[in-house]
Amino acid sequence: MIRATLTFAEADPADVDRLGGKGAGLARLTQLGLRVPPGYVIATDACRHYLQVGGLPEGLADEVFTRLEELERASGKAFGSGPVPLLLSVRSGAPISMPGMMDTILNLGIDRRAAVALAQATGDVRFVADVVRRFHAMYAETVLGALDPGQGLEVLAAAVGPDDDPGEVYDRIWAACEKQLQDDCGESVPDDPRAQLLGAVEAVFRSWNTRRARTYRDFHGIPHDLGTAVVVQSMVFGNLSADSGSGVVFTRNPVTGAPGLFGEYLAHSQGEDVVAGIRTPDPVAEALPAPLLEELRTTCAELERTYGDVLDIEFTVERSTLYFLQVRSAKRTAEAAVRIAADLAGEGTIAPAAALRMVTAEQVRQVQRPGFADDDVAEARAAGRLLTTGIGACPGQVSGKLVLDSDRAKERAEAGEAVILARPVTSPADLHGMIAAEGIVTATGGSTSHAAVVARALGTTCVVGASALVVDERARTLVVGDRVLPEGSEVSLDGATGELFEGAFPVATPAAATAALDGLLRIARRSGDSTVLARVTLPADVAPALAAGADGLVTAVDDVLAATGHIDGLVQSLLDGADDMSAAAFDRIAELVEEEFTPLLAAAGGAEVGIRAIDLVADEARELLQQTAVTTRHPALSVPLGRPALVAAQLRGLAAAAAAAGGAARPHLALRHVSDPAEARALRELAAESGVPVGAYVTSPRGVHHVAEIAAAGDVLWLELRALQAAVFGLPARQLLTAEPLDDYLARGLLTCDPRSSVDPAVVGLLERVAAVRSCPLGLRLSGTVSQETAAQLHALGFRRFAVDAAETRPLVLALGRAAAG
Amino acid sequence: MTEGLDKTDYDVLNAVALKKMASADAIADAIGGDPQQVAERLQGLAGRGLVVEAGGSALPTDEAEPALRAAADQLYAPVRADRTVGELVERFETTNSQFLTTMSAWQQVDVGGRKVANDHSDAEYDGKIIDRLDKLIARLTPLLDVLATHDPRFSAYPRRFRTALAGVDAGRTELVSSPTVDSIHNIWFEFHEDLLRTLGREREE
Repeated sequence: MIRATLTFAEADPADVDRLGGKGAGLARLTQLGLRVPPGYVIATDACRHYLQVGGLPEGLADEVFTRLEELERASGKAFGSGPVPLLLSVRSGAPISMPGMMDTILNLGIDRRAAVALAQATGDVRFVADVVRRFHAMYAETVLGALDPGQGLEVLAAAVGPDDDPGEVYDRIWAACEKQLQDDCGESVPDDPRAQLLGAVEAVFRSWNTRRARTYRDFHGIPHDLGTAVVVQSMVFGNLSADSGSGVVFTRNPVTGAPGLFGEYLAHSQGEDVVAGIRTPDPVAEALPAPLLEELRTTCAELERTYGDVLDIEFTVERSTLYFLQVRSAKRTAEAAVRIAADLAGEGTIAPAAALRMVTAEQVRQVQRPGFADDDVAEARAAGRLLTTGIGACPGQVSGKLVLDSDRAKERAEAGEAVILARPVTSPADLHGMIAAEGIVTATGGSTSHAAVVARALGTTCVVGASALVVDERARTLVVGDRVLPEGSEVSLDGATGELFEGAFPVATPAAATAALDGLLRIARRSGDSTVLARVTLPADVAPALAAGADGLVTAVDDVLAATGHIDGLVQSLLDGADDMSAAAFDRIAELVEEEFTPLLAAAGGAEVGIRAIDLVADEARELLQQTAVTTRHPALSVPLGRPALVAAQLRGLAAAAAAAGGAARPHLALRHVSDPAEARALRELAAESGVPVGAYVTSPRGVHHVAEIAAAGDVLWLELRALQAAVFGLPARQLLTAEPLDDYLARGLLTCDPRSSVDPAVVGLLERVAAVRSCPLGLRLSGTVSQETAAQLHALGFRRFAVDAAETRPLVLALGRAAAG
Repeated sequence: MTEGLDKTDYDVLNAVALKKMASADAIADAIGGDPQQVAERLQGLAGRGLVVEAGGSALPTDEAEPALRAAADQLYAPVRADRTVGELVERFETTNSQFLTTMSAWQQVDVGGRKVANDHSDAEYDGKIIDRLDKLIARLTPLLDVLATHDPRFSAYPRRFRTALAGVDAGRTELVSSPTVDSIHNIWFEFHEDLLRTLGREREE
């Protein structure tokens, strides 16, 4: 009676608990009509019995051998005999994949008779010698627990001549393997194929309780009594004849995502030959005979439709019959992931939500702005090409020609070259060069200096405070220790790690993926229910931000004035001015705002533009704004409405700019650090005359506490997540913009949450309170990269309106589309 | 040049040199000693210009390597003459290159001939690599055992490997290769350096 075993053809693929993951997969493939080498599964019940009783269930051995006879009939091969011997693969298959379980044993069933028959069938004695050696070693290692069995015996198999007698060869190899195993641990591999099979089955059951498997189950809360199934499958041979062979194929190109089979085939070979690199395979489309290629194509297309994904398929051809050995989801590059998701959705193979789930925000980031390859960076470090490490002020990885002054940077960039601008320090006189450069590096200044603030406003890769650098403008060289780089040398800059390298890194151009990315983001926007506003600073930033899918824009008055060269003058006038500045004293600010915001608003057209008012105590700009000096002279500027005239001037300027830009402009002004409903009400009164909508830009836990009333008194409400986290952590907000000091601190285990990349549990409660606001549009201002998890978390909290750095627009649009699609 | 290092000084300085930068606690853990005693030894070594202290950690000076080399020549002459060690070290070369391949498979996945970062979304793939690491570490055991008969401090390696592996099985996968924790990669790397110094050999490549 058949009880414990099920063939691939009869098992229910949904019954993973009894069949295990691998068994269920093979049953599924078989029942999809794929030609899978026949086999059966010993269900997990048998394992549970074994674990309880300590022995194989009664009748299991008989059942295993009955199934074996069926396999012999189905395959036309004979176990332990000829003319073509039946060899088996035996492997473990738990319902949940876990480490520590027994590996596959291949070529089980080899004995003297089978070896001789196999030699005659393949005409390849050396191959048989290798099969014998490999089987012995695999069995010794996985079943008997030997360490490194068969070491040094490859030579013995390799020394077999084509005309050697197969029986003698078997005897020689087997004896040598046995002797080595005896010497090593006193064990012996059975030479009876049936004993081999039962030994392997029992070893699979035993492997359920290896130390590693138990630890893993303990940790993951997997019950210890599930047990594992055993998968017994007949093997097929790709080296039987010229019309046999083996190969691996991807249903689409896993590097570029381009449609069409991508893979390799090697006639007259076993899969191991390809993996071991012994022989070079050929592209499938050329090497596979036409009828087989057609069959493979059709099957791949059907499988793609069934699985809704690109697959990686192992196959073997045995005497012109195609067998499928393994089908799994294909690993792929970021570029391929984007193209595949867009194409599969476009072809209607998968639903839009499924397409979004196939791509991560990080992959979008890689495709839109490719970075350095890890290998290249490691190689450069090893070769001593790392020149120096400063403070990473704005992330990004760029290579370009070294330029030492801003005029030349602009000139070279206009001529089409990628330029890295190195300066001792930057000032407003460098703006044209900074805007033109791909990357900026300075010798002095910290993460709140002019270079850092402007670079962040521009989204330009930037490293500051690289104190080992000496810019010699006279000699036109950059000196680092004893190294001298002439202007024009290739250098590379990493704005996250703060590293400057000599030489360029190749950066893959994702041209082919861009169209696919646009298609995918259209799906994300259609599925999404959120609004994304992108941070811009200059009129030229607007078109790319909108093209990236932004629904609107955000900017800040101080950022715009810094990037247009006015901020130093403004700070100076505050330092020079009278203690009690009159409204007239701020007229200059109104003029500057009008002048610089007119082109920005004009470029934005009808798109909403959220503008943050000047923040003279912005922690991320403390050096640039000379905060200590300014607030010593004007303590009132430390509080949001300490000098209402400063806010009124910005409102006047914006109203004038909006009028000058044409009727479509939709600016609003938000005031940072508002924490009291009274401030919010005062702000609205102040703005009434200008007609510009206003609101609070909350940064503090107190502001959150009063958020409902603050929102009620405004036209808009913004909350800055970075500033709020910094306040809750009690850290200066600028420390959340750089790698250090937090990288080191986290590495030492002194903080359990990284406030730069995830929302702290202590902040979640505050966010819930904010998310409840309904009385006006509520936006969350995010800084730096926003992970898929954070985006999903914020979406789940109820936020639907976000502002991000321009480069994060596409990743966030995707992440929010995914979050909305569920 | 300073006079020769005694055994404890050697152990402490060796640990500093292997870790490039380490606190007294970390050194004590690596050599199985008492943190207080290690701290005293570090002071002595600093006085001799072999280490410098910075932010609670010790760093080796340029003088450290030559001093260690000279001391190892004396201390480990018997190890270098041991034929069993010699044979096992030859096997270690193979194991070591397998280890390096396994580590790069942990960090990067081959996709149609292109390397992409392993995003650790495939538990089966990662599980296979961890299984392999487990076996590779087991393969070090005979060598570590023989070395420990010459110098008990080598028994710290199996202990550290066990701790790291147990952590990996408990889901702390950063213990595979993170440079900032006592990961399998770090322990292996330190052992390799330590072995080369013990044997008086130079790193190839």
